[in-house]
Amino acid sequence: MKLKKKQQAERSNATPAPAGLLGEAINRRTFLRNSGITAGGAALAFTGGPSMMKKATAASTSPQAGVETEVIRSVCTHCSVGCGVMAEVQNGVWTGQEPDFDSPINMGAHCAKGASVREHGHGERRLKYPMKLVAGKWTQVSWDEAMGDITDQMMKIREESSPDSVYWLGSAKFNNEQAYLFRKFAAMWGTNNVDHQARICHSTTVAGVANTWGYGAMTNSYNDMQNSKAMFFIGSNAAEAHPVAMQHILKAKENGSKLIVVDPRFTRTAAHADQYVQMRPGTDVPVIWGILWHVFENGWEDKEFIQQRVYGMDQIREEVAKWTPDEVERVSGIPEATLKQAAQTMAENRPGTIVWCMGGTQHTIGNNNTRAYCAMQLALGNMGVSGGGANIFRGHDNVQGATDMCILSHSLPGYFGLSDGAWKHWSGVWGLETDWVRSRFDLDSYEKVKDKDVPTINRPGMPVSRWIDGVLEDPENIAQKDNIRAMVLWGHAPNSQTRLPEMKVAMEKLDLLVVIDPYPTHTAILPDRQDGMYLLPACTQFETSGSVTASNRSLQWRHKVIEPLFESLPDHTIMAKFADKFGFKDQMFKNIAMNGEEPVIEDVTREFNKGMWTIGYTGQSPERIKEHMEHRATFNEVTLKAEGGPLDGEYYGLPWPCWGTPEMKHPGTPNLYDTSKSVADGGLNFRARFGVEHEGTNLLAEGSYSLGAEIEDGYPEFTADMLKQLGWWDDLTDDEKASAEGKNWKTDVSGGIQRVAIEHGCAPFGNAKARAVVWTFPDPVPIHREPLYTPRRDLVADYPTYEDRKSHYRLPTRYASIQADDYSKDYPLIHTSGRLVEYEGGGDESRSNPWLAELQQDMFVEINPADANNIAIKDEQMVWLEGPEGGKIKAKAMVTNRVGRGVVFTPFHFGGHYEGEDMLAKYPEGAAPYVRGDADNTTMTYGYDSVTQMQESKVSLCKITAV
Amino acid sequence: MARMKFLCDADRCIECNGCVTACKNEHEVPWGVNRRRVITLDDGQPGEKSISVACMHCSDAPCQAVCPVDCFYTTDDGIVLHDKNLCIGCGYCFYACPFGAPQYPQQSSFGARGKMDKCTFCAGGPEDDMSQAEYEQYGRNRIAEGTLPLCAEMCSTKALIAGDGDEVADIYRERVLRRGGRPQTWGWDTAYEG
Amino acid sequence: MAKSKMSKTKRRKIAIWSTVLVLSLSLALPLASYSIHWLGMSASAQDAKAVENPRNKFWNQVRDGTAGYSAVKGEGANVLMQPGGENWRQFRESPLLTMVPWAIVVMAVLLLLYHLLHGKNRLDVNGLSGRKVPRWNTFERLVHWVTAFSFIALAITGISMLLGKKLLIPLLGKAGFASWAAISLNVHNIIGPIFTIGIALMIIMWIWHNFPTVVDLKWFAKGGGLFGKAHPSAGRMNGGEKVWFWILMTLGVAVCISGVILVAPIYPQITIPGLDAARSMMQQASAVHAIAAVIWTAIALGHIYIGTAGTEGAIEGMATGYVSEEWARQHHDIWFDKMQREGKVLLPGEPRGAQSQAGTVYSRNT
Repeated sequence: MKLKKKQQAERSNATPAPAGLLGEAINRRTFLRNSGITAGGAALAFTGGPSMMKKATAASTSPQAGVETEVIRSVCTHCSVGCGVMAEVQNGVWTGQEPDFDSPINMGAHCAKGASVREHGHGERRLKYPMKLVAGKWTQVSWDEAMGDITDQMMKIREESSPDSVYWLGSAKFNNEQAYLFRKFAAMWGTNNVDHQARICHSTTVAGVANTWGYGAMTNSYNDMQNSKAMFFIGSNAAEAHPVAMQHILKAKENGSKLIVVDPRFTRTAAHADQYVQMRPGTDVPVIWGILWHVFENGWEDKEFIQQRVYGMDQIREEVAKWTPDEVERVSGIPEATLKQAAQTMAENRPGTIVWCMGGTQHTIGNNNTRAYCAMQLALGNMGVSGGGANIFRGHDNVQGATDMCILSHSLPGYFGLSDGAWKHWSGVWGLETDWVRSRFDLDSYEKVKDKDVPTINRPGMPVSRWIDGVLEDPENIAQKDNIRAMVLWGHAPNSQTRLPEMKVAMEKLDLLVVIDPYPTHTAILPDRQDGMYLLPACTQFETSGSVTASNRSLQWRHKVIEPLFESLPDHTIMAKFADKFGFKDQMFKNIAMNGEEPVIEDVTREFNKGMWTIGYTGQSPERIKEHMEHRATFNEVTLKAEGGPLDGEYYGLPWPCWGTPEMKHPGTPNLYDTSKSVADGGLNFRARFGVEHEGTNLLAEGSYSLGAEIEDGYPEFTADMLKQLGWWDDLTDDEKASAEGKNWKTDVSGGIQRVAIEHGCAPFGNAKARAVVWTFPDPVPIHREPLYTPRRDLVADYPTYEDRKSHYRLPTRYASIQADDYSKDYPLIHTSGRLVEYEGGGDESRSNPWLAELQQDMFVEINPADANNIAIKDEQMVWLEGPEGGKIKAKAMVTNRVGRGVVFTPFHFGGHYEGEDMLAKYPEGAAPYVRGDADNTTMTYGYDSVTQMQESKVSLCKITAV
Repeated sequence: MARMKFLCDADRCIECNGCVTACKNEHEVPWGVNRRRVITLDDGQPGEKSISVACMHCSDAPCQAVCPVDCFYTTDDGIVLHDKNLCIGCGYCFYACPFGAPQYPQQSSFGARGKMDKCTFCAGGPEDDMSQAEYEQYGRNRIAEGTLPLCAEMCSTKALIAGDGDEVADIYRERVLRRGGRPQTWGWDTAYEG
Repeated sequence: MAKSKMSKTKRRKIAIWSTVLVLSLSLALPLASYSIHWLGMSASAQDAKAVENPRNKFWNQVRDGTAGYSAVKGEGANVLMQPGGENWRQFRESPLLTMVPWAIVVMAVLLLLYHLLHGKNRLDVNGLSGRKVPRWNTFERLVHWVTAFSFIALAITGISMLLGKKLLIPLLGKAGFASWAAISLNVHNIIGPIFTIGIALMIIMWIWHNFPTVVDLKWFAKGGGLFGKAHPSAGRMNGGEKVWFWILMTLGVAVCISGVILVAPIYPQITIPGLDAARSMMQQASAVHAIAAVIWTAIALGHIYIGTAGTEGAIEGMATGYVSEEWARQHHDIWFDKMQREGKVLLPGEPRGAQSQAGTVYSRNT
């Protein structure tokens, strides 16, 4: 009986019908007898086709009667909510998809994308075979030939230039194991030129948030929002980007929570808001400071919380004082009363949560924005409580995991960084000599840090947002031996990146361009190349297995639904192929068994369990994650805590940090920094990450500590020495002592230090204050700076951008020299971008799914009626949209009040056209997406965050003309 | 006796089109035919509201009343189904249906529409339950399998509810009481009481 | 006495002005409520509006069939509820549509009665001279017969689809009728456009002959010769034929245009630019089509009867192109005189080919 669902917990939402009713319900036989129908073919003779369903498709992927059906539990591969997927498989064919009512995350729900994932099993428009570009034509080749060609060329480039001339661009579509292997693979190849989409998604969040209170992740969970009394969305359109999260949000709203949405667009989320605030794009800091102005003015801040747990609020207060209501209105366009109302709502309805997404992060001052959001929550005392927190909705299904595994040019897995200590730690986990790992790199130095030469192994590589410049920039100006000469786009949509015209040139200049993806992607059609380009078919995540981390830090196990289609291979198998060709397969897979060509995925999980102490990815053994998947019906939908059953008391998916070893059975941490629970039960406090004092001020918490902590005050992070001082050293076993000696909580691979700290109720990472001022950043106190391409020239003098920088992630980075020019005369409209519910990312996958593609067939641009009238554009008319750097796109005008006057919006999912022309002919045959259109990033312009090199894709300028 | 009904809660619907693709997925509905769709009024303006709509399986179904070949029938559950072997593709049901439910596959021959297709409440058609013939013409028969329409089961915010009318009404009433305000059982007047 | 002396003019004036007053008051009084609004006295009404459920506007829009946005494209896809559907359904089930087909039966019965009681309208002469008058040229006859047979096919299939649910399903069973209905629909769809072309050609060919004249009035005054022995005068077209022509011109055009709208490939999936409301247009077209076609069919029975069994010698004209001198003299005397003057009357045995151009020289004024 499939109707059992989650009736006990979900009575008000599930829609079960009693079985008895259905059992006797349908009696069509009677009807047929009475009407005397004989199945006559005559009626079919004239009116065309015999039936509406496509027989060919139906025969291959439709459920067959009488065939055994296997139900496989998987996880949606689109966004970060982590919805459970129940796949019905017959004879290895994915024939049905059922709602996963047991999953506490989605309770059976899906958005358009999730409800259509079964199409992955059809794969009609997939890249089916390895392809090689020969004289401008795609030619099918064997895996062996393709791998041979590619690796030979890479070895040549490695010798001629350096390992840094090959760029490994990974993906948030990898599962955790693949992400971890990919970072390890890049290290073994000998470069830090490795990165993935998190750079252009939430890198400013991770940097800003981790530097504020310790960890750069969503602090609570989608589910926990049901406990919120107020929800403040800024730069997030959850209704389209995270639709299933709206289930929790709307439930919270029905329970009386107030929903405030701040956005330049009146989004689908705003349509459900109690208060909608329209802002000028790029003025997040003024908006937040404008709210805090009212908070401080009225004494609404949480004084006790600030005193105990926050450093630097006084400096914030000074900056906020400058943002009087008049000044806020001048800069952001929001009247005083509006923000006062928002401030009052947040003050009177605590705990309140803040949600932000790409609207806040993708700016040259993205890190300032994210820290301003944090400051607001700290001032209101909303951190570390259920219903509060900073609920940062991540983008891709495993972007949280891929970030944690650090497919990032500036860090090793677990945010260990690139210091010698970090290399030593990971070399140890890998069972390799540090010297051997070092020997893989170009050990020359190309830039001085504090007047000291630093080899490339310790310097961040180029970020994904800037690889174009790594190809095109004069090699004299970049901090590595040579330009990038080979690009591997391994699960990356280039059309999600700005400056596409320049990317086209860069792609044409490369010696070697390799795409490894289930789809050919926009890369296949963007450059005009004759040769030196390969497309290798990777399978989707439904054709392999592994763990995946949802936005709320819960890990779920994605079981393999079907075998890889066509000639596609799982990503980790392809990595093993490369490692084999490059000759470091033995080192790379030292602790990992091989199943034929495929590395055993559980062994990979176990390996990273041994090293990821920093963020607590150590307790989630494959066995534990799978057990959680199996018993997911026992978890409460609001608290995510198992109520009874074999996992009683654990939190769903063991949200990290899940401290210690798997044997320690830590339940996971549902809400970060929540002092109302003991650390052993998922409680925490802010992390002591920035020392114990700064300029004479104490950074440790004062009088605040997690429940049951034996140190009833702030304390620094745990080390072996600290255990000895506290007299807890002897709580370690002898084996643990051997491992822990001279180590700290992050590097003790026995987990002993963590275990003992937690036994005494303490957080292994110490107990400190959050810092509202990040003195290591370009703007310690978050301040407003006008975007590089701003229409408000009158504000440039007051709020100028940064000075140009000579080397930022190995590359010169421009700021003031761009802002100096006034483009607003010729390009009067602000251009901003965002998501549609039907598509995801660059859209190659979703635009190749006919069930989704049919719903959004045209690239469009939203224009306010007033602006449309000014340029005499009518609704649904085709227009040219041109950016100040010269790129232009053709799109259908959608005249709507959704955008304010002077602002236009485009979705960034389209691709397959270039400057108005359909590039259908450039796709390999049968692999073009159903829907193609101009990529809006063809017109998006230069601009990078001062800390992370996040691209600016939320504010640019443009002009629109009729076609 | 169960009386199957759909209800779309306009205060919950976020126009995510999950119901639309769930239907496509479950029944392999071809491009151009949409048994369910979401409509947003006051799009992009204050007061914007979205509603998912498909065949409402009316009590006194207009399609049934106007069909020249009498191909419609109502099951004991109140589900309005039709027999594609009888349908001649005249389009009358499309003219009459208040909800725009009937769909026609695009055909090249002049003037002919092909056989009408519409939401079956996931209850298939007159062929044998869960047979290949039934699947090919009408899609999967979830009701016979003991489950409810997939669009509602997969609705991202549980805005779309399907099932026995009394239970659906109870669920909705509970929500309305919690929110305060009058119930807005969209389409029920037309479909079930009218 | 004074009163009775009131002049005729004065009485007329009073009558006129009182009528005007009554009429204008009857118009103005119902509008008086608006004055309350104009005078700002509708405060209570405004209050009522203020406490109105804010969601009302939305639901009113829904009921009005206001179009919104939908990611699904197709005719009517962006409309939640179309009020037109209910109207159309009522029309389909209305007495109008259930009663009108009786016109065909009534007409058939009347014709049968006429035929039984009155009998065929015979020529008043004994024996024919053998002289022939060219009446319809080859092209005219081709058009007529193609259109005529099309009409019959369309009438049969059309009525089948209209009434089959009631009349044929009990006879054929659902599957049997569905087969026939499918055939009917396709026949209708294929022949309809051919028929439409025929109607268009007929109008072009014959409109000049069909403007009414005084002669036609006299013709009607004498009952068109249907009753009694009199044979009213007529030109090439008699009054009856002209009436038939104008029925064709009105009902026929309505049927054809509405039919083309229905048969044109306006699939619900395609929105034709400029035809945003294809569905409501098709609803109206189908209503017009059904009513006009049924009435036309009933009248056509009369035309068929008069042209075949009802009038001796009439069928000959459309079958061969020539009518006998006697027939022409009896039914279209003015035209016959003219033809005779112009020497268009063929002697017995005279080859017809010689007069092949006969059709082109008919006078427009006869």
